[in-house]
Amino acid sequence: MVAIDPTILTDIILIGLSGTLICLAVHFIPVGGAPAAMAQATGIGTGTVELAAGSGLVGLITSSYMYAYEPNASMLLVMAAGALGASMMLASTMLAGGLIYAYGVAVPFASAQVKKDPITGERQDIYVSKGTQGQGIPTICYVSGVVGSGLGGAGGGLIYYVLMQYYTPFFSTSAAAIAGVFTMGVFYVNSVIPSYGVGGTIEGVHDPKFRRVVPKDVFTSIIVSMLCGIVAILIAGGMTP
Amino acid sequence: MVLDLTMSMAILALLGALATIAGCLEDLESDVGSQSNPNSQVQLAPQMGFLHRIYNKAISGEPISNGMSAVTGGTVTTVLLSANFYPLTAIVIGAFIAAIIYGIYATTSYAGRVASQTRFKQPLYMDIMRYTTPSIISHNFIVNFCLVAIAYIQHDILGYPFTIPFLALIWGISVGAIGSSVGDVHYGGEREFQNREFGCGLNTALSGRIVRKAESGLRNSIDNVWFCAKFGGPATGIGLGLTVFFSSWPTTIWGYTWKAMGAGVIILIVMIILNRLIEINVKNAYGPYKEEKNETEAKA
Repeated sequence: MVAIDPTILTDIILIGLSGTLICLAVHFIPVGGAPAAMAQATGIGTGTVELAAGSGLVGLITSSYMYAYEPNASMLLVMAAGALGASMMLASTMLAGGLIYAYGVAVPFASAQVKKDPITGERQDIYVSKGTQGQGIPTICYVSGVVGSGLGGAGGGLIYYVLMQYYTPFFSTSAAAIAGVFTMGVFYVNSVIPSYGVGGTIEGVHDPKFRRVVPKDVFTSIIVSMLCGIVAILIAGGMTP
Repeated sequence: MVLDLTMSMAILALLGALATIAGCLEDLESDVGSQSNPNSQVQLAPQMGFLHRIYNKAISGEPISNGMSAVTGGTVTTVLLSANFYPLTAIVIGAFIAAIIYGIYATTSYAGRVASQTRFKQPLYMDIMRYTTPSIISHNFIVNFCLVAIAYIQHDILGYPFTIPFLALIWGISVGAIGSSVGDVHYGGEREFQNREFGCGLNTALSGRIVRKAESGLRNSIDNVWFCAKFGGPATGIGLGLTVFFSSWPTTIWGYTWKAMGAGVIILIVMIILNRLIEINVKNAYGPYKEEKNETEAKA
């Protein structure tokens, strides 16, 4: 039997874990898809993959910059930098989107999945307009989105950190590029998995769909992300330090 | 940190300004060419018997098409920079080539989409193609210019570890995601259904019944971009501008420390409060929908 280096095994497990974190994070983001773009559903008016990848990649830029200029930065700090960039992107997007729903389309924010907002305790059902699945971004969706994007950004930061530690001895100058592109790939893989589960739209942590689909999606993601981790290690196999 | 604090802040302000312009123009480009989710209505309209004169491109999802365009611009710029071109010239040429390629995709996409609707009798208007396509190309050129300039500044001046094309790709994907989430709602939720009462909510039964008459004559995509430039575009610009500015501002001031992360969390909390204030304001201004109001009154 081939003995596996414990460091390599840890790296694979860490990539698997961070991929799972990204997959979990996508469920927190209030994605309304095409109906939300017409103010016919609660959440942000675009798809899961676009949003999760868009925010996560901003997190990748901030965490890579942190890693490049603070070589002694702890793993947690790199993850926090990723979380900060990703949350900032989604928070800005939701705030600007809220302005359009409020003053461009003129619809009150309302969730169709809960009768009262768990954070503000405000009635939601009476604000849902006829023939729609809610509209705008109520407080619970906003908070859920900020937390979710933070988790996704932290996951991305962790993958980048692990890969940089592994690749730097092999490819000193282009390690950042390879680690960056690979992290982007893992982001896309783990943004697509939840799309099947949530079926295009989810309001966030309070949506009954959340509890229903998270276990299955997370399980799928663990397997797929571990595979990604194995591939990430294998592609450096032919290189000599 | 490569630069001193004053210079870093100046660069950050420049990045924020470039991002704001890029975000605004990206949304307007998606309105003039009709892309992303609202385009589903433009695509659906002929099937519902509503023939129209609106450009119907939707090359792909906005993040992907803008990412492609920005990475093309970034690649050409990198090649020209390595041939010792001046940075500004290299960025302009790179952005221009990417915009022309984007224009080719736009025309083939428009022709292809309309051709697939022959059975619904939707005509392909050559005048629309002739004078809307240059507008799409010019909007896309400005977006590419701003995104590649951001990537250039981040790579060459601030020393980000990623290359110019990769940074441009990431910002292209992000600007598309923001444009698709913010400005498109103004186009899809309001402009396409402007004949309905303002704030009435959009019943799903209205799908495909888009407005086809303009303020004067028949509506086309140039009319749409004129309307969306008043609110949807600038709001998208604010979205990307805030993202670029606030994702780097805490670390510019406090360096790469937990203090900077704490400052970021405070900014996020302020944004949550702002969103809540908008929610309260809107609910007070518009109130619940009429039928529910009557039901409550009847119960009382």
